[in-house]
Amino acid sequence: MTVPTDQHKELKKDVTFRIFRFNPQVDSKPYFDDYTIPVERGITVLRSLNYIKEHIDASISFRAFCQAGICGSCGMRINGLSQLACTTQVWDVLVKSKEPGVIKVEPLRNLPLIKDLIVDMDPLVGKMKHYSNWIESTMPESSMGKKEFLVSEEEFLRYDKATDCILCASCVSECSILRANKEYVSPAVLLKSYRMNADSRDALHEQRLAELVKDHGVWDCTHCYRCQETCVKSIPIMDAIHGIREDAIENRGMKDTSGSKHAEAFMTDIAKKGKLVEATLPIRTNGVIWTLQNLVPMAAKMIMKRRTPPPPPLVKSAKGIKTFREMFKEMTEHVKQDHKSHKK
Amino acid sequence: MKRYAYYLSCINESMTKEVDRSIELWQKELGLDFVKLHEGTCCGGSNLDYVSPKHFALVNGRNIALAEKMGLDLVVSCNTCLMTIRSAKKKLDESPELKKEVNDILKKEGLQYKGTSEVRHLLWVLIDDVGLDTIRQKVKVPLKNYRIAPFYGCHILRPSAVLGHDNPVDPSSLDQLIEALGGATIPYKHKNRCCGFHTLLVAEQESLNVAAEALQEAIEAKADFIVTPCPLCHTSLDGYQAKALKNAGIESSIPVFHLSEMVGLALGYSAKQLGIKRHIVG
Repeated sequence: MTVPTDQHKELKKDVTFRIFRFNPQVDSKPYFDDYTIPVERGITVLRSLNYIKEHIDASISFRAFCQAGICGSCGMRINGLSQLACTTQVWDVLVKSKEPGVIKVEPLRNLPLIKDLIVDMDPLVGKMKHYSNWIESTMPESSMGKKEFLVSEEEFLRYDKATDCILCASCVSECSILRANKEYVSPAVLLKSYRMNADSRDALHEQRLAELVKDHGVWDCTHCYRCQETCVKSIPIMDAIHGIREDAIENRGMKDTSGSKHAEAFMTDIAKKGKLVEATLPIRTNGVIWTLQNLVPMAAKMIMKRRTPPPPPLVKSAKGIKTFREMFKEMTEHVKQDHKSHKK
Repeated sequence: MKRYAYYLSCINESMTKEVDRSIELWQKELGLDFVKLHEGTCCGGSNLDYVSPKHFALVNGRNIALAEKMGLDLVVSCNTCLMTIRSAKKKLDESPELKKEVNDILKKEGLQYKGTSEVRHLLWVLIDDVGLDTIRQKVKVPLKNYRIAPFYGCHILRPSAVLGHDNPVDPSSLDQLIEALGGATIPYKHKNRCCGFHTLLVAEQESLNVAAEALQEAIEAKADFIVTPCPLCHTSLDGYQAKALKNAGIESSIPVFHLSEMVGLALGYSAKQLGIKRHIVG
């Protein structure tokens, strides 16, 4: 939502585009070039870039194709935020500029830079391949073309929104964990994996899920919600990530990875005490050896500062825990019933 | 005096006890009366929602229903508890079937989730209910000598469809509070970034890298301290600071304060009273 200002009332004004430049074959380091052009209200950032390329400097490189928010090729950072240049209006970003009248345009983050505003999408494509982000049909080849593959509306609604993804990589650019480790699966790949795994026509569900729960996979997401917040198609990407986790717990149990063990601890503690028993969380997540190696030096400091969480017997249950436990169990019965009726 | 039901976050009851202690010191001075919700349970810490969405709705529907029974809004001082309980509220408000299922069980305790109580962060209550002008008048020791890096944390900003108080791209509420307390904020790109807390036990290296980046920017900008409205961000940025910075090859350190401690300092309480000495980084 943008706030109406005087700036909005103007129909035309000079705007400076501060564009990230880097040609690794020529330049020793990146720099910015300023281009000031007259811009009319209603013009997008992409049209402005096209104007600059056509009339001022043909050496600027960027990707663009459909100009209508469909192909996903013009993802870039505009005033620091990853979005599509073709659906972003100059007037809308101008009100958020740190320096009045200046719009900063930079390449997406977390992907290797090729030139100026162009990043290399190959690592993302490689991950899509690694996590088998396509449908392999469960229908025998002999039946293909002879019968329909019906999908219920209920099933389709589970991945309807996920199919809106146009692979623009804005979420990839904003991801906190990918920024910390380029090996991480990345949100766009998790979204696509969720979409394939939720499809009843797909035969790769288990194989894909087994890959997703490994290191650098679904459990490494740190729930920062940056992917979802930046998505140019407003796809609830975190729901998809949580969906994969829910699926992993249901199909693989809660003992196979540190991520699932960590999640299980919350369920167990709430059922028992209504409170999280933090003192044993590291051991329950990663075992005794990991905890000794990783946390003992810190624990010493914490003990000195009286900052250690209380041992399990000293964690007081929430008031009224008896009735709470009964209610929690009652819901467990509901969930069991739900699972039975789903299987039917 | 404005009354609120105050949600007890697990971490504030165990590792970051200084949060609730410092709030207790100054709440009355700002005309706030927080009634502790001892019957409340763990929100699920952004994990229960996918382990069992229905238990998640029950647990947090109950947490809110407890406040509703008292006719009060629910105030939370941990970002993740805030986001988690508000997410459950949104789900319950949007699904009459889920609401009925939860309420059928809550009857056992004489509770009912109606959707009448708001779930709000302490920071929002300070800004919207107490007001910056009142806070300015109450300040006894302005934080005028401090350059402060405001670290909002994720779950007070995102998902904005659930939170919606601040602009997630360029939040300002904490900045406004700092200025009302007489302090100066530094331009801080990491203000709306992540602290890495939620993967500290699952993807430690990645989490430490995330924390180190936020610390490094504040150190290089010569901030006197970082302040955060979230005890989980505090644990990542203070508790794990030495490890994160060592891992990143940075030889320096920076204190990290809770929002409640910063308010306490400006209202004239000592570092000892506020529990600041309990922090790992001195």
